Amino acid sequence: MPPETGHTGASPPASGVNRGAGQARRSRWLMIRRELTGYSLVAPALLFLILLTVYPLMRTVQMSFTDLKAGEWIFVGLEHYREALDDRWFWNSVRAVVAFTVPALVLHLLIGLGFALLLNETWFSTGLRNFMRGLLILPWVFSTPASALMWALLLHQTGPVNYVVVRILGQSAPIPFLAGSPRLAMSSLVAINTWLSYPFFMIIILGGLQAIPPELYEAAKVDGANALKRFRHVTLPQLRTILLAVTTIDFIFTFGQLDLVQLLTRGGPLRRTETITYYVYKTGMLDGNLGYGSAVSTMMLLTLLVIIVVYVKLLSRGGESGETSF
Amino acid sequence: MASALGGFGRRLGVQSYFSLYGLLSGLLMFAGVIIVLFPIAWMVFASMRPLAETFGSPPAWIPREVTGDAYAKIFSDPRQLRYQLNTYIISFSTAILSVGLGALAAYGFSRFRIWGSEFILLTIMALQMLPGVSIIIPFYNLARSAGVWNTYLGMIMADTVFALAISIWLLKSYIDSIPTDLEEAATVDGCNRFQALYKIVLPLLAPGLVGTGTFAFLYAWNDFVFATILRNGHELMPMTVAIGNFFTQANRDWNAIMALNTMATLPLIAIFVFLQRWVIEGMTAGALKE
Repeated sequence: MPPETGHTGASPPASGVNRGAGQARRSRWLMIRRELTGYSLVAPALLFLILLTVYPLMRTVQMSFTDLKAGEWIFVGLEHYREALDDRWFWNSVRAVVAFTVPALVLHLLIGLGFALLLNETWFSTGLRNFMRGLLILPWVFSTPASALMWALLLHQTGPVNYVVVRILGQSAPIPFLAGSPRLAMSSLVAINTWLSYPFFMIIILGGLQAIPPELYEAAKVDGANALKRFRHVTLPQLRTILLAVTTIDFIFTFGQLDLVQLLTRGGPLRRTETITYYVYKTGMLDGNLGYGSAVSTMMLLTLLVIIVVYVKLLSRGGESGETSF
Repeated sequence: MASALGGFGRRLGVQSYFSLYGLLSGLLMFAGVIIVLFPIAWMVFASMRPLAETFGSPPAWIPREVTGDAYAKIFSDPRQLRYQLNTYIISFSTAILSVGLGALAAYGFSRFRIWGSEFILLTIMALQMLPGVSIIIPFYNLARSAGVWNTYLGMIMADTVFALAISIWLLKSYIDSIPTDLEEAATVDGCNRFQALYKIVLPLLAPGLVGTGTFAFLYAWNDFVFATILRNGHELMPMTVAIGNFFTQANRDWNAIMALNTMATLPLIAIFVFLQRWVIEGMTAGALKE
């Protein structure tokens, strides 16, 4: 970073005759210099982000209008999009991503909210609460491959989960969780994803719960509201904005989940767990169908972009008016 | 603090600590913790005992025979050591690069007037939220044509892209909280701006830098998709990919892979225990704007 001082020889000297104009010029020069310093500070990071996110994103859109034939890119217009809309596997992947994301989101929310409410209980001392909170966030720090492997071991034919199911629930044969029925495979993926992702909800909701002024509960109690009523009329409205924010972000992350499918089912059985991200990966990277993969990717991007823009609008509006807590 | 569901016990006339409700929620919490931690414990157990115990029927819930064979195996195999080394190289470099670029940008956004800064910051956050898969096709081409395919640099840059956004946001909120007066006072005392930055801002920012670095480190440590497409062969393979490859192997050595998986997760647990606050701050950065 260039050192910026007010009294180096770099600024024009102020003469006695033209003192006022000199000072104005001098402060103007300082101002420009200050501005330049600011821009030179943010430039490296911004150039980096433009080169490695904005440019690839634009290339994805551009590639979706082209096709690679005999080593040359030819413009095909909306051909790939038309192809996608007629492609039953494209629609299959849309169905799969919805079947994965919606139940996962509901589970993340319910489990995250449940743990947050429990952690917020009065019987917890601060130390115990932080300890419990620490244990319960732990799954969140793990990578998808690491947790996929942990769960593959648990769900193994002769693993503990199958032991419990076979012995205690009286099933006759071990259950192939990830390779049996499509529905079971999808449920297993949702369960594993929930294990990885509920802490995000839990932490943010817990933060929200602790920000609710206790007076509100006291007032509700005075008015004779029971626990359930207090939850519905005090807790939920107070958490509304936070729940909206965390659900939106989690929707995008869960929607974009690729590793779990790639590692555990590879889209099977019967391509029923082939979510749209996996379909992009499969057509674009594995099959080398770059143009078509980009078209599917672009459609996915546009969908997510709408959601992100709405979310960011809410975020910035909340920041300006100070109405919302995020 | 009053709770959302509390008060059942009190209405039954039992006092606070040993209320029925407190007991129930405590039990529920305990059960939850067991369920959540069981997969981790099972992995660690599997890495340190004979396979017969893990896959036996009934399975041994607590290890009876402890053996270090699996660890001896992965620590004597140069390839397995290489996976670990690669992960450390990529993660540390990503942390340094994201914190370096992020701190400069955050200081710029915090202390200088940047045209459209609100818009730029929100765009950065929005881009960071997009799934990595949406850019992997051009990313792969870009890496190939720039000559960084199958290099550490390629993977580090890919990981930095996603860690950088969070770094800028976290560090900006940090720098915002350091009063400008401190720098100005130092300037009056004869420091130039650079010295003021070095002597006043940097020490105050140090915890923020460590925290942000931790977050970037975790991000790179856990990356799987970019490490899969941006390299080839075993030389630069990080642990996540080695673990992922296990799923495609015909001869599965569950013992050794569980040892590697433990080596891939223990540092995360350690980081988490010591730097919990930072991990939480990083994970909530996108959802809670201060």
